[in-house]
Amino acid sequence: MATVAERVKAVTARVLKVPPEEIRPEQSFAEDLGAESVQSIELVAMFEEEFGIEMDEDSALAVETVGAAVEFIRNVCKEQGVDVEE
Amino acid sequence: MGNAKKHHRLVDTDRPNLLEDTFPYTLPPRIKLHGPLIEYIDGQPVEFDISDLETRPIFISDTTFRDGQQSRPPYTVDQMVRIYDLLARLGGPNGIVRQTEFFLYTKNDRETLDKCRELGHTYPECTGWIRAVKGDFRLVKEVGLKETGMLTSCSDYHVFHKLKFRTRQACIDSYCEVVAAAFEAGVRPRCHLEDVTRADIEGFVLPFVDRLVEMSEQVPEELRVKIRLCDTMGFGISYPGAELPRSIPKLIYKLNRECGVPSDRLEWHGHNDFHKVHVNGATAWLYGCDVVNTTLFGFGERTGNPPLEGAIIEYIALKGDTCGIDTMAITELAKYMRSIGLPIPDNYPFAGRAFNTTRAGIHAGGLRQDERIYNIFDTETLLGRPPRVAITDKSGADGVAHWLNEFFGLRGDERINKIKVHKLARWVIDQYDQEGRLTAISDQELEAKAKELLPDYWKKYKST
Repeated sequence: MATVAERVKAVTARVLKVPPEEIRPEQSFAEDLGAESVQSIELVAMFEEEFGIEMDEDSALAVETVGAAVEFIRNVCKEQGVDVEE
Repeated sequence: MGNAKKHHRLVDTDRPNLLEDTFPYTLPPRIKLHGPLIEYIDGQPVEFDISDLETRPIFISDTTFRDGQQSRPPYTVDQMVRIYDLLARLGGPNGIVRQTEFFLYTKNDRETLDKCRELGHTYPECTGWIRAVKGDFRLVKEVGLKETGMLTSCSDYHVFHKLKFRTRQACIDSYCEVVAAAFEAGVRPRCHLEDVTRADIEGFVLPFVDRLVEMSEQVPEELRVKIRLCDTMGFGISYPGAELPRSIPKLIYKLNRECGVPSDRLEWHGHNDFHKVHVNGATAWLYGCDVVNTTLFGFGERTGNPPLEGAIIEYIALKGDTCGIDTMAITELAKYMRSIGLPIPDNYPFAGRAFNTTRAGIHAGGLRQDERIYNIFDTETLLGRPPRVAITDKSGADGVAHWLNEFFGLRGDERINKIKVHKLARWVIDQYDQEGRLTAISDQELEAKAKELLPDYWKKYKST
């Protein structure tokens, strides 16, 4: 099973249409990867679908970088009792 | 910078001050006035006490069937009766919409008047409108009205160029003959000082009004002349310091305090040629004229008159209370007027289809968090019109979410967040980015897409 980081990278690559190998943890979704407003929403929706979780809208949209998203999702999975590969 | 006279200290707090005394939301924002107002008239400072406005009996009168009808094809009898009925509901039992006036010249005019009176409403009182011709009083007497407006034009444009009087004296004598005829017939004359904002105030208007006041002193109170100040071409100005004849404060002062026409017999009638019509009417209230004459949705000769519904909202804002007014009737009147072919622009305040519709995603985001952020007052409760968003490329997911919540009628925790609407938001964006669309997306299109892209919500909220 892929790790949280790998799954986040894969979803990000699919939604933002960037090669996965170019995505790094410190990159900002908006500034570095070019996520527009509706794409930010799509990213959150796709993360929910990928991990089978429900995220708080405001908190999720406040996450800026790929690395922070990995951490955020890991915490939500833990809170909601969803098993993930570290 | 650098000329600051006073340092202003930040009042830091973690509790928002929403200024709810002024912005109660359950009512239109209060207009709180602190006086006195000072106007320099004939070189002297004159005080106007506005502190009594909350308790002073001010009213709205209506001329939808007269001035309003001069700007459009005639209404049918049934249409006018329906409008009159709704006006009565709007103005409420306290008669805030106090009077409405009718033409009396045709059989249809008189039939309409009869049918409106048959409804049995106390308000709006029905009054007439005639030319300043003695023979026209026969019409007023025949239909049994207690009051009629009569044209008493007073600028020299009218006196000499339209009515062809040889002198001002001849003009005043002629008008006064008709006023005397009204008294004799037991009908209160309401003299419409046509084109007063372009008239010679000292040389014609005030001497004429002096004479009307003298004549009125000889008759019972209920017959005494009312004066309607007609800003026929929209020249009136509300600003302090403006000169006569255009100054509304000075005009009212001269008639009210120099000529002695009491406030309850003064009425303002405006036109919107210079975009000043509503504020000019409200200004007249402030400076001592108790009645503002209006038409529904401002329909009237050329650019129109003070909008009645605007005056209604102003009235509530000044009084801090609805005073029996049924504001929902505004929406019903707008719907009815549209149904009989009167165009009301979409962005028209209080009544247009989109008056509280935002197209900006950032505003929709605010609405979604707390509708007070971008709604003028509780338009749902007062007008049956919740704030809406129109969906374009600027609406964003916030706008789409707001639209859906309104569409499904969801409140509180049931409301859908914008994460859940991402597919519909994407479809909207693609309409513009991919399809090159340039128009707003209609409710019908969104409805169809919502059914397709949000089947679970559709099933839950729309299938029953």
